[in-house]
Amino acid sequence: MRHLKRLWRDPARRRLALTVSSGALIGASLMAGHGPGPEAAAYPLMVAAALVAGSDIASRAWSSLRARHVGIELLVTIAAGGALFIGEAWEAAAVTFLFLLGATLEAHTMERTRRTLRGLLELAPESAVVLRGGRQVEVPPQAVARGEVVIVRPGATIPVDGVVVGGRASVDEHAVTGESLAVEKGTGAPVYAGAIVQDGLLRVQAEGVGAETTLARIIRRVEEAQEERVPVQRFIDRFARWYTPAIIGLSAAAGALTGDVRLALTLLVIGCPGALVIAAPVAVVAGIGRAAQRGILIKGGAHLERAGEITALALDKTGTLTEGRPRLTEVVALSPAPAFAGGGALTGADGSPWGAARQEVLRWAAVAESGSEHPLARPIVEAAAELGPVPQAEDARISAGRGITATYGDHTIAVGTPGLMEELGIEVSGEARAVLERLRRGGRTAVLVALDGLILGVLGVADTLRAGARGAVEGLRRVGVRRIEMLTGDNLQTARAIAGAAGVDALHTELLPDEKLARIRELRREGHVVAMVGDGINDAPALAAADVGIAMGAAGTDVAIETASVALMGDDLGRLPEAVRLSRATLRVIRQNLAVALLTVTGLLLGVLAGHVDMAGGMLVHQLSVLLVVLNGVRLLRA
Amino acid sequence: MKTLLRSNELSCPSCIKKIERSLKALDGVSEATVHFTTGRIEVEHDPERVGPEALVEAVRSAGYNSRVAPF
Repeated sequence: MRHLKRLWRDPARRRLALTVSSGALIGASLMAGHGPGPEAAAYPLMVAAALVAGSDIASRAWSSLRARHVGIELLVTIAAGGALFIGEAWEAAAVTFLFLLGATLEAHTMERTRRTLRGLLELAPESAVVLRGGRQVEVPPQAVARGEVVIVRPGATIPVDGVVVGGRASVDEHAVTGESLAVEKGTGAPVYAGAIVQDGLLRVQAEGVGAETTLARIIRRVEEAQEERVPVQRFIDRFARWYTPAIIGLSAAAGALTGDVRLALTLLVIGCPGALVIAAPVAVVAGIGRAAQRGILIKGGAHLERAGEITALALDKTGTLTEGRPRLTEVVALSPAPAFAGGGALTGADGSPWGAARQEVLRWAAVAESGSEHPLARPIVEAAAELGPVPQAEDARISAGRGITATYGDHTIAVGTPGLMEELGIEVSGEARAVLERLRRGGRTAVLVALDGLILGVLGVADTLRAGARGAVEGLRRVGVRRIEMLTGDNLQTARAIAGAAGVDALHTELLPDEKLARIRELRREGHVVAMVGDGINDAPALAAADVGIAMGAAGTDVAIETASVALMGDDLGRLPEAVRLSRATLRVIRQNLAVALLTVTGLLLGVLAGHVDMAGGMLVHQLSVLLVVLNGVRLLRA
Repeated sequence: MKTLLRSNELSCPSCIKKIERSLKALDGVSEATVHFTTGRIEVEHDPERVGPEALVEAVRSAGYNSRVAPF
């Protein structure tokens, strides 16, 4: 008895139970009427079926009325009630049964499209073990206060964002960072809620809790994106608002004019625009959810639509096509140099120690670059630091776009372009120029190093092309992006090598931020739907000017992510063609769904008015169309 | 105070208005927004006059199971 009561109170279980019962009663009625069983039982059984199913619909209609809202349940209740009244038990039973069945299936299937985020939501930890007053207390994760320390055991999920204050463990963070390999975390390392401790124990001081954790923010971003309507949806929602009242009016008018009660009741049955209102939303939820599973965060339905229409794509070089971590790759010595006191030895790849000359070139350059913020400075200084401590230059002067000059003791050092050397009156030999050219053709940024008026050698710094860059460019072409360009502020020769390796169509070099913007606008004027892929702060204006701004997630700055339409969570360029492909697939599904929905709505309306469609048939077609549209959206989950 | 409810049973966009109005009819609820696509129900209410359990109950009597969620 108590079990039944609990069943009755749970709306979903109750509806399922009543659907099954109603269906069974219909079956029994049909058997009685056409087969074995007392014929006289057929009609009462059918009426019972209608009442059983109708009870749930009527109670929902009632609660709807109490909230002063005329819903589809009310229309179905009136239609079924009216059918019973004129003696049409079969119509009443079929309509109510099909309505319940449809509602159950629709709820279940719609929930499947929301399930992509269930995965992320389920990563949200259930409880946290926090240290309070020297004791371990188990609390819900939201109850942890910032600054408190939680203990995370092996196999457990980290409940808060924070920093490790004790212990050491390898942690699986892929849900939050997109990193598929586990990361070692020790004292001082940042950790995220939702990450799983694989082995080892961690004590974490909480910095972000509950809704403020990175996990929660990612989920919120994806959900907000799923809730944003595509442009066509606004139009459909407006249409839907007057459709139902219009059908009610039409039904009353038709009933009054023709005296045909059945016609009026049948019109009520199709009084819900059903498939039309969920045609686009179901696709958007599934498409954005699927993309999020793949590490592609699309900001919303409207952004999704544009992403599916991309015909041209521009890529920034440094940090996007390349890793963004310049490394010193070549040191070429051209003439003997005064020895540096007290140095260690670097060994080359073959194990043989670097010659003293090369070491000197590097170390003098590092001294000059020691205080510089320039992107070339760090790789030079870091490489030299392996030879021994690098002293600070006494006095450094930057010549914009050309290089740096510095003094150390009695010596003057210069590191930069031939232009700088010319400015300083230092001769650059043919041999030196040849080395420069060779390095540049190899994609290096190359600089000369001079000491006291004499060229010592040349340094080559490389920013390597990301693995998969070429594959990504080819992939983009395969999904229909017709024009792919690289935009960079870097010099032509260096950029050309990277562009060639990546396989882009065109290359624009030595661009200032404004000029990148101008190129985007030019592409748009040519009629393209333009996407811009970037990560740094200088890309933000170009990202905003493009039709679709795409930010590289983990490497990207907050500015770029906020301005962009799409954020790639990891640094995998391979996700680019996938993002376009998913967007295109979603657009296709939206169009298919709208077609099905429109055909159904107009078809049913005409059919009912022409008298070809009866109540049961109308409900069946209506529910089938809704189910079809939702299932079509579910397909995207496997795209 | 803002409470977030989540429901797995929203099947038709017409249920949006019904749930919103049922919630707003409660004394102490100032705002209620139902997001059909994600199953999220955001409620702005005065915790002194109506607690989260009463919100869940209101949604249930509108015909849908839901639960309170931290985010």
